Amino acid sequence: MSIASALQTLANYRSHSARASQDIVEKGEEVLKANAVVQLGDEAWAFLEQLTLAAIDVGRLDIADECLEELAKTFPDSPRVNVLTGIRMEGSESPDTILKFYNEQLKEETANPGIWKRKISLLRRMGKIDDCVEELSTYLDTFYNDLEGWVELADIYASCHQYTSSLQALSHSLLLAPQNPFYALQFAETAFTANDIPLALKMFLVVIDMCERDLSTPIEAKESVPSGVGVRAWYGLKLCCRRALGRSSASSSSSLTSQSNTSLPDLKKLQKLDELATERVLTAYSASARGAEGKAVVMAWMGSTD
Amino acid sequence: MVSYTVQAPAYFKIFFHAAKHPHKQVNGVLLGVSTSSGVEIQDAIPLLHHWTSLSPMMEIGLDLAARHAESLGLNLVGYYQASERLDDTALAPVGEKVASKVKEGFADAVAFVIDGNKLGSNDAALIPYISQSSSTWRPFTEASAPFSSNSSFQLSSSDLPTRAVALVQEQHLHQKFGDFDDHLEDVAIDWLRNREAMPADL
Repeated sequence: MSIASALQTLANYRSHSARASQDIVEKGEEVLKANAVVQLGDEAWAFLEQLTLAAIDVGRLDIADECLEELAKTFPDSPRVNVLTGIRMEGSESPDTILKFYNEQLKEETANPGIWKRKISLLRRMGKIDDCVEELSTYLDTFYNDLEGWVELADIYASCHQYTSSLQALSHSLLLAPQNPFYALQFAETAFTANDIPLALKMFLVVIDMCERDLSTPIEAKESVPSGVGVRAWYGLKLCCRRALGRSSASSSSSLTSQSNTSLPDLKKLQKLDELATERVLTAYSASARGAEGKAVVMAWMGSTD
Repeated sequence: MVSYTVQAPAYFKIFFHAAKHPHKQVNGVLLGVSTSSGVEIQDAIPLLHHWTSLSPMMEIGLDLAARHAESLGLNLVGYYQASERLDDTALAPVGEKVASKVKEGFADAVAFVIDGNKLGSNDAALIPYISQSSSTWRPFTEASAPFSSNSSFQLSSSDLPTRAVALVQEQHLHQKFGDFDDHLEDVAIDWLRNREAMPADL
């Protein structure tokens, strides 16, 4: 592996914010040893930051300290370096020590979002969920555009079974990133977990719509093979239809309740959606270019009526 | 007290699942049979590493895993999970729910929480949970520590933890490992059997 290709991989990781810590440390160490940091020019600082984080992640605190020293020398009193210092501390100090450090930092410059977020994630790690949620909510009042913050809040609520609050947080994510199917998917799956089947069904359809936006004609749609997020959404749709149809069978009189007052499609439409979802998932398995595993159990699952 | 033996494929797969996603929660189910000498935990099927608090894909995965087990003449005999934090060894509410569901189909079902502190060591990194009533699960306690010589919980061979560590560090087999979440992104991933991730000398 040449230094040039290592640098390229590292740059790629940076542009995707990928957490491939083991790989980053291996390649980053080579770059350091070869004294090649200077080749990066202005990118050198982003590289050192990346390596610091990855090194802490895999427990190579020696490398992290080396990088951090360089950064602190060049950018004294930088809020960004302060955050890294905090994270480095999280690698070896007790939670209470770190919490004290963050609180002190926040007293000095209350609006350093990086430090604030580290404090919030520390509170979650310490199990202080109530404090964590309170701080995160206040944070999001100030920094509304922090998409990652809303998603984290939704995740915390979901882990405490507070699905309504989770959905509320996710609805902000949907506002901030309306083109991204992942947030709609998370919304759909959260709604399902909250037992709001009509809402989940509707949102799975939204995801599918987002994924198939490029298919402009019915023929294209018919011949396309679902992949990635689409497969998950079709599976989700199938699960919802099965639930909805199961309840609306002749014997049970009550229809599915929806906390959000979302209505279900009528019976005929539900049956068609059920058929379509079945066909789409099975197509994903039969038409997959690299073959598919476990097709037999999927077919059996599709065929069952419970 | 029923005795339980964890065999190599099950231990390795649980280990690889945790090793592949060190900063995330992971979970899955265990496959095996009941014999006259106790429960043999022969294999594991990994489920999620993403959105582990959410249920739809978990439900589908569980269902598919159960059917696969049946096709092999095996039962679902348990559930495993790993937390993202070293000090968190509780069986989360989601875990209790899944474990209870497994117990509906297999009375001697067991749940394991991975002990993050022991993952890199030569000791079995599993904390067993048993359920007395229908839905309360407690860490299993008896005179001997789990996986010690007199315990009701045994590994089929004492070198499994050491071998698991070597397989991850030297052969990186955990990189070839895929769970249901991975399979949903790419249906070519063999999440039910993970044949490519198993060592040749199993």
